[in-house]
Amino acid sequence: MAALIEARDLTKKYGAHIALDRANLNVEAGRIVGLIGPNGAGKTSALRAILGLTNYEGHLTVLGREPFRDRTELMNECCFIADVAVLPSWLRVDQAIDFVAGVHPRFRRDRAVAFLAKTQITGKRRMRELSKGMKTQVHLALTMAIDAKLLVLDEPTLGLDILARRAFYDALVNDYMDETRTILITTHQVEEVENLLTDIIFIDKGRIVMDTSLEDVATRFAAVAVTADRLDAARAEKPFYERHILGKVVLYFENADPGKLGGFGEIHTPSVADLFVAKLSGGAA
Amino acid sequence: MNNSKWLIRREFWENRAIWMIPAVFGGLLLLAALFGQVSIPRLTSPQESEQAAAAFLVIVGAMFYLVMGVYSTWYLLDCLYTDRKDRSILFWKSLPLSDATTVLCKLLVGMIIVPLVYFAAADATALIAAFILSIRARASIGSSLWNGDVWLGVQVLWMYAIVTTAVWYLPVAGWLMLVSAYAKRAVMLWAVLPPLLLYILERVFFGTSTVGHIIARRLTALPAVSFHGMGPNYVWTHEGGVVDNADSHIPRVWQLINPSGFFTSAEVWIGAAIGIALIVVAIQLRMRRSEI
Repeated sequence: MAALIEARDLTKKYGAHIALDRANLNVEAGRIVGLIGPNGAGKTSALRAILGLTNYEGHLTVLGREPFRDRTELMNECCFIADVAVLPSWLRVDQAIDFVAGVHPRFRRDRAVAFLAKTQITGKRRMRELSKGMKTQVHLALTMAIDAKLLVLDEPTLGLDILARRAFYDALVNDYMDETRTILITTHQVEEVENLLTDIIFIDKGRIVMDTSLEDVATRFAAVAVTADRLDAARAEKPFYERHILGKVVLYFENADPGKLGGFGEIHTPSVADLFVAKLSGGAA
Repeated sequence: MNNSKWLIRREFWENRAIWMIPAVFGGLLLLAALFGQVSIPRLTSPQESEQAAAAFLVIVGAMFYLVMGVYSTWYLLDCLYTDRKDRSILFWKSLPLSDATTVLCKLLVGMIIVPLVYFAAADATALIAAFILSIRARASIGSSLWNGDVWLGVQVLWMYAIVTTAVWYLPVAGWLMLVSAYAKRAVMLWAVLPPLLLYILERVFFGTSTVGHIIARRLTALPAVSFHGMGPNYVWTHEGGVVDNADSHIPRVWQLINPSGFFTSAEVWIGAAIGIALIVVAIQLRMRRSEI
């Protein structure tokens, strides 16, 4: 199956600053992919390129199209929520629904209305009168009513409280996601999306550091809590990262032999957050 | 086509000032008509009452036209900037609307639709004010403000002014939209400073002021280009109307407007071509620039 998003040597420069440095990535249909990186890693630049909001160097196709050249056509099949606070303050809820229904061929008004009916939000309210959580609900209602193949979310829950964040992701998984859809999320709050994702892409300093499915994480990576006496033996197996907690040392291994590691201590699969920290601060060591 | 309809409707949602300013302005004029001092001299001849009607309609129209000029300038300078500033551009760009359509719809609103709204407001205000004044002044001016010929003439004048204004000021509009799509802040400064700098540099290094002349002419010469020159026979009356001294008649509207001169002027079309080029650049900037 052809990749939904395919980038080869994707590069974006702002003057002398290189935001994306020959990045390669593949996103396949039906996945929920987290594009994860620290602030300034190039996440937003990557998304801007994918959404056709900026020009770039290198090869990039999204749903078989070149995003910058064909943004208008691409947006028929692709939606994005870039941060929650971007609905214009003067827009009324009913105007928003009318407008999107008017210009988007794949928008289904009944779905948006049904979604909003479950909330406290009425049609005559302006965005400036709504809380951030409510704005998110409006934006979600608009987006989920569009029959899109790809949904892109850029830090979708920035500035939301924990209740609104949870509600956002629950709605996403329960009401939106099915096998015909693909979601690409960027965030730097890894814990929040961890159990949602099927794939993770780590990005740092404009480069893709890791691109893997979560199933592969379990077979590829291992974290072992090692006591001091076995540390040197364990280190010989070339861990790529060490973490010191409460007198123990946790060593992180990639593609190591589990049989050997078992001798050093308890093995577990690192969480995405741990892996992220390990990969990004450990470097190639 | 359908998308344009929604984009234009959207401009009315966002910029309620498009109709609120002319409505409030018309309301103020009507208040003046209701409570102001009416001192229109007794008009005896039909020529005199025709003059009064023409002067009245032209003055009302001109006032609306001036307010419109200020508003449209502000609108065009703001229209590609605000949604970048508040980041709502990211919402608009998530919809299948091309940047060219978006920019052209905003241009259409600023150059044609806003003037049409002001034209409608000017007409409504003039009619209601004429009604009020003719009641207040009773027979003294009575029917004089209700002159169908003059009224129709002013409608033609307005339409002609809207079209010529749009074509003549296209380079100005294009520049304002380019700045609006480009500037990260201080759009007003960006609109004014580069031309000013060009003018100063030319003065300093060449001692000439071609740039200044071109800009000044573009900003002020529309009446001279789009209307016939006021010949020696024409004088401005104290009411503000234009009278042909020779036979003491109001010049008919087709004697005033100069469409053949306007639409065959190289200056007009060179300006329009520059305007189109600037708008193309504005569209390109709109494609590349998202939030600030």
